Amino acid sequence: MTVVQAALSGVLLGGLYALMAAGVSVTWGVLRIINLTHFGLMLLSAYLTFDLATVWGMDPLLTVLVTVPVMFVLGGALQWAYDTLRVSELNSLLLSFGLLIIVVQTVSNRWSADFQRMPLDVNPYATGSVPVGQFAFPTPTLIAFGVAVFLIAGAHLVLRRTFIGRALRAYAQDRAVAATFGVDHRRVGVLLAAVAGATAAVAGMLYSLINALTPATAYEWFGIVFAVVILGGVGHLIGTLAAGVVVGLTSAVVSVVLSPAAAPLVLFTLIVLALLVRPTGLFAVRTSR
Amino acid sequence: MRVRAALAAATVATVLLGLVTACEKKSGNDGATPVASGEPIVVGSTLSLSGAFAATGIIHKIAGELFVEKLNASGGLLGRPVRWVVRDDESDQAKVSTLYEQLISQDKVDLIIGPYATPNILSAMAVAARHRYLLPQHTAVIAPLLTYECQFPAWSIGPTPNEFVPNQLFDAVASLPTPPKKIAILTNQNGSTDFVSYGSANAKGGAVTVAPQRGLEVVLEKRYPPNTSDWSSLAAQVRDAKPDLLFNSGIAVDPVNLLQAMAQLNYKPPMMFSLFPAPGPPLGLGPAAEGLMSVSIFEPNKSTLDKLGAKAAQIVQDFETRATTAKLPYTVFETQAAASWNAWEILVASVKGAGKIDHQAMCDFLHRSGAETTFSGKLTFEPKQNNFWPTTQLIKQIQNGNWVTVWPRDRAAAQLRGPAT
Repeated sequence: MTVVQAALSGVLLGGLYALMAAGVSVTWGVLRIINLTHFGLMLLSAYLTFDLATVWGMDPLLTVLVTVPVMFVLGGALQWAYDTLRVSELNSLLLSFGLLIIVVQTVSNRWSADFQRMPLDVNPYATGSVPVGQFAFPTPTLIAFGVAVFLIAGAHLVLRRTFIGRALRAYAQDRAVAATFGVDHRRVGVLLAAVAGATAAVAGMLYSLINALTPATAYEWFGIVFAVVILGGVGHLIGTLAAGVVVGLTSAVVSVVLSPAAAPLVLFTLIVLALLVRPTGLFAVRTSR
Repeated sequence: MRVRAALAAATVATVLLGLVTACEKKSGNDGATPVASGEPIVVGSTLSLSGAFAATGIIHKIAGELFVEKLNASGGLLGRPVRWVVRDDESDQAKVSTLYEQLISQDKVDLIIGPYATPNILSAMAVAARHRYLLPQHTAVIAPLLTYECQFPAWSIGPTPNEFVPNQLFDAVASLPTPPKKIAILTNQNGSTDFVSYGSANAKGGAVTVAPQRGLEVVLEKRYPPNTSDWSSLAAQVRDAKPDLLFNSGIAVDPVNLLQAMAQLNYKPPMMFSLFPAPGPPLGLGPAAEGLMSVSIFEPNKSTLDKLGAKAAQIVQDFETRATTAKLPYTVFETQAAASWNAWEILVASVKGAGKIDHQAMCDFLHRSGAETTFSGKLTFEPKQNNFWPTTQLIKQIQNGNWVTVWPRDRAAAQLRGPAT
């Protein structure tokens, strides 16, 4: 029973991991930008959620009405800047890391370095759960999982079934050929990065439902997010969701069967082994590059 | 004519200004407090103002600034003003070494005081030992590791904290009408917390070995990494182990994450202890955190402040004002701030005792005469125990949404509460 409960919780937490990783994966896979500033947008969204809920009295879930448009604009503006400055894939790593440091310091100056956590009276979701038989589905991760499935499946369908999606995929595969077919790379790139920014807003809100915030939180996300991105296949959205679930499930089960201290060791060993077998990611159907 | 009038007006204004200044000086000083003058004494240190330890580093910064301001207002040190140069070590112990080396070798600061967090303090101690500088330090409590004879701890859990902490807690819960019989031990693999559960090569033993010696059945024992993000699996294991007491050798928001994950499973352990939690976040959990226990060297409970007097109460109030201005979510002057205050008082006592800035003389003075502190009383430093003084540590508990000291009884502000029935 302990293992099953832990596995259920792990799968649901995997949804949050996937949502956090989706924006990084798609901008890396399609736009060839390794956007570490995405972590800053998530952090900023989490703190804005905190403020909107504790100071303005908004329901934390409804704060996305404010944060999504803001991060949509910021995400698009960043991509416009990257594109205008002709930032290469490697340079994007350095530049976006610098921007992340600026965001972290700004957050630190505005909200202090101390822990900020929404109290229960403004965040009633934190300790809630949905009981099903002997098991409990924690409310915040259940919401995170549902939102992740909805957004990632939706984005996958858009990429597969719409003109803009086909344009983006064509752009990802060969920029020059896509341009000869009339794909305006700047416009579609900005749009894609803006949508990725919007997912950062949702991920930040969901993270703040569960966790205390400190500015340094952004750096703690690196390991798990990049594990999910790489395992899922860079730019592969459904793969990202599957990888998030695998990471969450593996960590939870290893924590119970062996020890929580063994979870990172087992998880990252499995990831290394998986990448030796499938270098483009365990869930990548084909390379997106 | 106009020039003469202007000169007269200027003369009158100057005289008036001089009179007003003299009056202000007199009324502010009353002639009793000497005014610090001359070249400032420079104290150098680092603090973690960014990175993983920043949440607590900022508390030490506010406490230190307040202390220096009050020190200067009361005549400074050796009649000279004190200036504190504090650098951000970014929670990186490699940077701590570099910055302390710079402070001593290049900036030639007169005195140093420790950074925050055990790993950083160990780095600073190595530099201090090389230069033979006296090092008062705020929060490193792993006595066996702190071997430099001129480091002086401001928070002491005695020479063997790995035995003292569990024994003190087990003494406290044994006093309850229905003492716990089964215990679950969850340990963060951070240096200090792991030490309290498991000890080290030089100091064997800890909560894991003390518990069975005290007749407690260990029904669950797990270690978890410092960056744990999945608390649900730990919560499920605790729930299914059914302990009477959960001993969380944890840090920062670990107990909050655990309590929240357990609440999601509709479970709350009958009793829970957490070693070094951030004090504010558990209070936001409301009833889910009620009864949580931890350690403390000072809580500003009314009965404690009444005993300590007006000076301590004023410090507590001034700190709260500054912490509010700095937008800290939890503004109470408690263990961390009290440890900071102790460290500064140890530094000042050493200089005053030696009568000059001579690090060996200052070190000898502290060994010989100790230091008087506002919040922990008279401290005596025993070199054979790495200067760790007889501990004044207390057990505190959340009662009605506030932290109150509950053990030992003779120094407690309230009575320890057992599990709700």
